[in-house]
Amino acid sequence: MPHFEKIEYKPIPVSELLLELKNLSELMIDLAYSAALFNDRELAEDVLELEARIDTITYHLDIEIMIAARDAKDAETLIGVSTVAAAADKISDAAADIAAIVTRNIGIHPIIGEIFEKVEERLMKATIREGSIIVGKKISELDLAARMGVDIIAIRRNKDWILDPTETEQVFLGDILITRGAPLGIKEFKKLAEAKLKKLE
Amino acid sequence: MTKKQEVFEEIVKRFVELKNTSELMIDLAYSSLMLNSTELAEEVERLEEHMDDLHTEFELLALTSNFKKEEASGFLGLIRLGVATEKIADAAAEMAEVVLRGIEPHPVLKMAIREAEETVTQACVTHNSPLLNKTLKEARVHEETGMWILAIKRNTKSLRPKPATRILTGDVLIASGYSEGAEDLKKLASPEQNCSSTE
Repeated sequence: MPHFEKIEYKPIPVSELLLELKNLSELMIDLAYSAALFNDRELAEDVLELEARIDTITYHLDIEIMIAARDAKDAETLIGVSTVAAAADKISDAAADIAAIVTRNIGIHPIIGEIFEKVEERLMKATIREGSIIVGKKISELDLAARMGVDIIAIRRNKDWILDPTETEQVFLGDILITRGAPLGIKEFKKLAEAKLKKLE
Repeated sequence: MTKKQEVFEEIVKRFVELKNTSELMIDLAYSSLMLNSTELAEEVERLEEHMDDLHTEFELLALTSNFKKEEASGFLGLIRLGVATEKIADAAAEMAEVVLRGIEPHPVLKMAIREAEETVTQACVTHNSPLLNKTLKEARVHEETGMWILAIKRNTKSLRPKPATRILTGDVLIASGYSEGAEDLKKLASPEQNCSSTE
């Protein structure tokens, strides 16, 4: 049996919960596609854990919305919030479905993964090679978002995935990074990671 | 490339189109909420119908591809990926429906969308913009600003951006990206900031 977190009321601002719901559900989609297409079981399991977290957030959000509605007019404007939250939850469910393709050993044909990496332009996996100028750099120093519209969504170091790494996280030799963003940007970033490009513009 | 690989490649291309369309729909749905824009919400609904067609074509193609028994599981995985994109598209359409039902989006929604890591912005194109009369391909907006153009509002229509789409005066560019890029885009589109904001 999975463990379910007990739901107790905590005063958390609705905007905070919604923001987390939006960011997490979008992150989950990218992570789930990566898990399926790069056939990575650990990453898929992490996505399923995030799904449980989303469920908890949704409960808290529902509680806050119920408390916030004092009259019919409040309820009318808040129904939009709960609909959007339910939709974000559905997106995270879809991400979990994708992850389940891996955890239930259905898998994706390896050729599909290969072709996908060629065709899809917004999601990429890169390994940090010897001589790459980004070794030892903090994510904040790389300033990828502003420079090339790229976002590192996960780092695999040894056997573990670091999801949605913080700005202070460092990049090490041998790390496998999953990045998303502008097609030209992620191509450029892959070259930097693989030491084929030696300077940051 | 072998015949088989060509077939695979075609199926994957269709899948990537499903994936991209469903993600565009999410972006547009959130934008429609943030801007309380019926046009964008209608665009989401239109894309939802388009998704249904794409999804059917994708499944038919997968079903008629003569897989070997040992390949079947790997293709079942791909079919399930397609189903997931459909579910994501449905979710986006549900969000857009809030706008189409005339529910004034609660301020808290705007707050959350604006504060999200990736922001959605709109910038209108003035007569002195360097983007004017360029095609999207020539304008290189995302190389310049890191912003992705999601849609172009022209009069009452919302156009889906294509490389050959030409940027005209009065166009409103709806774009997503990081907040640093949003400012750059606004400067590029309306250099003298004399553009009346429709936000």
